[in-house]
Amino acid sequence: MAHQHVEHLDPYSPQSGTMIPGGLVKFMRTCVLWQIIRFLVINLRMTKLILKSHH
Amino acid sequence: MARVVVMGGGVSGHTAATFLRDWLSADHEVVVVTPNSKWNWIPSNIWVGVGRMKKEDVVFDLDPVYKKANIDYRQAKALTIHPEGSKESDTPFITIEYTGQGKEGEKEELTYDYLINATGPKLNFAATEGLGPHGGHTVSVCTADHAVHANEELHKVIAKLKAGEKQTLVIGTGHGMCTCQGAAFEYIFNIDHELRAAGVRDKAEVIWLTNESFLGDFGMGGMHVKRGGYIASSKIFAESLFAEHDMEWILGTHVTKVEEGKIHYETLDGDTDFQEFDFAMLIPPFGGVGLKAYDKEGADITDKVFAPNGFMKVDADYSGKPYEEWKASDWPRTLQNPDYKNMFAVGIAFAPPHLMSKPMKNPNGTPINPTPPRTGMPSAMMGKAVAQSIRDMINGAKEPTHTASMSEMGAACVASAGAGFFSGKAVSMTVYPVVPDYEKYPGVGRDLSYTTGEIGLAGHWIKHFLHYAFMWKAQLKPGWKIIPE
Repeated sequence: MAHQHVEHLDPYSPQSGTMIPGGLVKFMRTCVLWQIIRFLVINLRMTKLILKSHH
Repeated sequence: MARVVVMGGGVSGHTAATFLRDWLSADHEVVVVTPNSKWNWIPSNIWVGVGRMKKEDVVFDLDPVYKKANIDYRQAKALTIHPEGSKESDTPFITIEYTGQGKEGEKEELTYDYLINATGPKLNFAATEGLGPHGGHTVSVCTADHAVHANEELHKVIAKLKAGEKQTLVIGTGHGMCTCQGAAFEYIFNIDHELRAAGVRDKAEVIWLTNESFLGDFGMGGMHVKRGGYIASSKIFAESLFAEHDMEWILGTHVTKVEEGKIHYETLDGDTDFQEFDFAMLIPPFGGVGLKAYDKEGADITDKVFAPNGFMKVDADYSGKPYEEWKASDWPRTLQNPDYKNMFAVGIAFAPPHLMSKPMKNPNGTPINPTPPRTGMPSAMMGKAVAQSIRDMINGAKEPTHTASMSEMGAACVASAGAGFFSGKAVSMTVYPVVPDYEKYPGVGRDLSYTTGEIGLAGHWIKHFLHYAFMWKAQLKPGWKIIPE
C-alpha cells in the first residue's frame, strides 16, 4: 500500500514536489540489525573525517 | 613563567584551557574567565526542550573541575582588552567584573602573556522586537534554562492538543541574519516526535520559518551527497523530511516583529506577511559579547580589534570582496590576531571573513541569509589548535605552529530527529570541508568521499553516546584526552 505514505500530501503544494520515503526505507531506519551495521559504518566514516581534519 | 587567559568556558575555551593546563608545566598559569558557574553540553539542550532530559543531565559545575585541574577559574565577565598595557606598564591586561564566587560586581585587572577569546556569542534577542523568552513571545533552546522553559511551554500546548484544541507551532529563525539552523531543525523534528508519541500530531500545524533561501542550506550553502546513484543536494533530502512529517515551510524570511500569537516577517521577494502561532521557538541572531579594546594611551581601538559585528579579527581576509571572488583561503588558519600576536580568537568569537551561503537581499535592501555556523566539532578543534600553538610559542616558537581552518577541516554533525532507544532517529552528516572550496571541488565545493548524510536509529545512538562521551571528557574524567574533539 505505497499510497499510505503520501496520503497527507496536498496536490500542487510544495510538499508534493519532493520525494517521499516508502515503507522499506522507513522500516530500515529503525531496523535494529541494519542500524547496528550503520552505527559501525557511520562511526568509521566519522573517524576517517576526524583523522583527515586534524593538522 | 607565562600566564594564558582564556575568556569563555564553552566548548572552544574549555578545550583550549584544559589542554593547555595539561601540556604546560606548573610554573605557567592558565586562567579561565567566564560569567557562568556551569558548563553546558548545548547539543543536548534539544532534549531538555522536549522533556527527554533534565537540566542537570546537560550541565555540571565548573568550579570543582577547574580546581582538580589546577586552572585558575574566575567567574566573571570580561569587559575590556588592553593589548598594549597602560601608560604605567607594557604588560597587556583585561578588565573583568565578577558574577559569582562571592565577589559579584567587583572589578579587577588581569594581566596576560597570551589571550584566547572564546566568549561565544551574545544571544541578540533585542535585534527583533518581541523575540525571546525574556519579555518576548517566543521560547529558545540556546541555554539549558531556556530549554527548561521551552519544555514547560511545549507541554502546555500538548495539554491543549489533548483537550481537542488545534494549535500552531512555529520553529525556525527569528531574524534574517541568524545562524544555528541545525538546532532549530533538531527541535522541530523532536517536537514532531513528541506530538506523535502523545497521539496529538493530527491536531497540530507545525511550520518551519527560516532565513534560508532553500531548505537544507544550514548556513553553509547546503551540501551534496552521493545517494542511489545520484549526487543530490541537501535541499532534496531536507524537503523530503519536512514533507514526510507533514510540515510546511516558509523560506527566506526576516522576522521584523513578534507579537502575542503573531510573527511578522518580510521575505526575499520583498513581501511582508505574518504567521499566527500558539508556540514558537525562534533562534536569535548572534553578535559579539560587546568587548571593548583600548590602546596604551587609553584610546578606543575596538574597531581595530573587532569586526563591526563584534567578533574578533584574526588572520582572515576581511577585504569585503564580492561573492564571486570568495575563496576558501579567505578563512583564518592560525586564528591569531593580525595586530597583537599574543591574542587569538576561537569558536564563535572569531570574525568570519564572509558568509558561506550566497549573500542575498530583498528589494527593500534587507539582507536575508544565514550566517556561518562555527559551533561543535570545529569550535573544539580551533580551541585545541590554538592551545598547541600557544604551548609551542611559550616554549620558544616564533609563530603559531598549528592551524584549524574551517576550509581545511571537516565536521561531523548528528542532528536528532526524535529520541527513543528503539524509536529515535537522527540525521548523521559528515561534511568536508566545512567551508565550500569551489576551486578544489568544482561544482559542489565539497569532497564527495567525505560528505555524507543518512537518517536512522544509528544516528540517535551516536548522538546519545556523544552526549555521555563529551560530558565525560569536559569533566576531565579518566581517558578524557583520547576522546576526539
